[in-house]
This record gives sequence, structure tokens and C-alpha cells, in this order.
Amino acid sequence: MADIGRVKLAVPGSVRRGSVARVRALVIHPQERVDRQGGRSVDRNYRFVNRVVVTYLGREIALIEPSTAVSENPTFTIPFRATESGPLKVTFVDSHGVKFEGTAEVKVT
Amino acid sequence: MLGAMNLTLTRRAWLALAALGAAVAGWRPRPARAQGYLANLAPEEPIAVTLKRLFEGRPLKDGASLITIDMPLIAEDGAAVPIAVEVKSPMTPENHVKAIYILAEKNPRPLNVKISLTPAAGQAYVATNLRLADTGSVRVVAEAADGSLWITGRDVRVTVAGCAA
Repeated sequence: MADIGRVKLAVPGSVRRGSVARVRALVIHPQERVDRQGGRSVDRNYRFVNRVVVTYLGREIALIEPSTAVSENPTFTIPFRATESGPLKVTFVDSHGVKFEGTAEVKVT
Repeated sequence: MLGAMNLTLTRRAWLALAALGAAVAGWRPRPARAQGYLANLAPEEPIAVTLKRLFEGRPLKDGASLITIDMPLIAEDGAAVPIAVEVKSPMTPENHVKAIYILAEKNPRPLNVKISLTPAAGQAYVATNLRLADTGSVRVVAEAADGSLWITGRDVRVTVAGCAA
């Protein structure tokens, strides 16, 4: 788990102005699932990503609220309308309040 | 004597009330009973209760023609089932998809993920990997900017359960 918190973003190499592109974001994270003992959930401070914010040119375009029922190493593909070259930032926040950020440069032609 | 009887009566009445109160408290839905860290998670409940809790009985219209779910028919491993959802929408400020909810019927906590979108997304699309506890239906609800709700579903067979919780 040494890699925990590594964020990988994939955006197309270049995007035509005005077209819709997609960003694929991945964070290395255990995304703990709820344990059960005797059919009951164990009350523990589970560590899972429960908030993902996607911003493009400083504006929020999507907010994702995952539960424990999203796979380990959560990945999301989100569309965005490419208007200008600039940064696309994805912030993952887990239930322990730890933030993981990744930024990709979008090149608009 | 009279005073004592009065006292017993009031005490009896009080006890009856307390018992009633306890019974009412016991009848409260699961969320009220969830304690500690589990209170931060969605409660364990059937999908119908989740839909009611999320949408407060607002009508869910059939969105089969609007919502496309791309997902394998048979999922080898319930721990990671790829899903892609696309909702037909012009994504203008007046008419866009505000949120997409993905729910799994057979998961103890049915809401997998909620995605809120803005018109700047340009498209109502999301792809992710889900944990599925068992073979069953995966439902997708799209909430439009005007508050209308559209629902559709897809059955998926899960070979190895993802123990989704």
C-alpha cells in the first residue's frame, strides 16, 4: 500500500475546441468495504473515498459521492466540454479526510 | 388512601406512556438506530427504501429510451464490475442532467455512487467500477435540472460475489 494516494489522470493528447472529451481518473486506494460479523456490520472507521471533485479551468464540473460499493482503486470517467487549454484537476477525499490530487493539462486546438 | 391510589394510577399511566414511547422509539427506521461510524454510511435497507429515502416519493419515470447502460451481462468478479452510463441530454443550463445515481438491488447498502454534473460537462456520462454483492438488477436514476426523475435497470449475473457493503 505504499502507493496509496497516487492519482493517475488520462486526457486525450489534444482536443478540438468546443468538443466533448473525457477524463479518466484513478486513485490507488483500498476503498475498504464494510466487515460483517454474525450478519451485522462491524462499527469501525472505514477508510474509503467518499468525495471526488473534478474542476476544469478552476470551475467545478462534477462532484462524485462514492460509497463503499465502488471498487478498490476507484476510477471514474467524466466528460468535459473543452473550451480552452488549461488545467483539469481531480481531487479525491477519503472518509479519514485525506486529500489526493491530480492535475492534467488539457491542450485545445 | 385516595392519595395513594391516585399516585399509583398516575404512576401506572406514566409507565404505560413510557412503554408506548419505547415501542414508538423501537419502531423508528434503521437510520435512527445506526450508531457510531456506521451512521456515516447509508443504512442497510432494501432498494425500495433507498429510492424512497433519496427521492421522497417523487415519481420515477421510465427512462429506458434516455439512459444507456453499458455493462457486461455476466460479471466474473463482483469486486469490480465495469459500468458506463450515458443519458441523452443537451446539457444546457436550462436542460441538463443534474445527477446520476447508480444503485445495486442486491447490495446491503444499495446506493453505489451519486454523480452530480454541471452543464460544463457537455455530456451526461459516467463510467466506473462497482462492487456487486449478488446477481440482480443494477438501477440507474437520472435527475434532470427541472427535478424530474428517470429510472432504468439492467440485470447482471455475478459469478463471484464482491461482498459489497
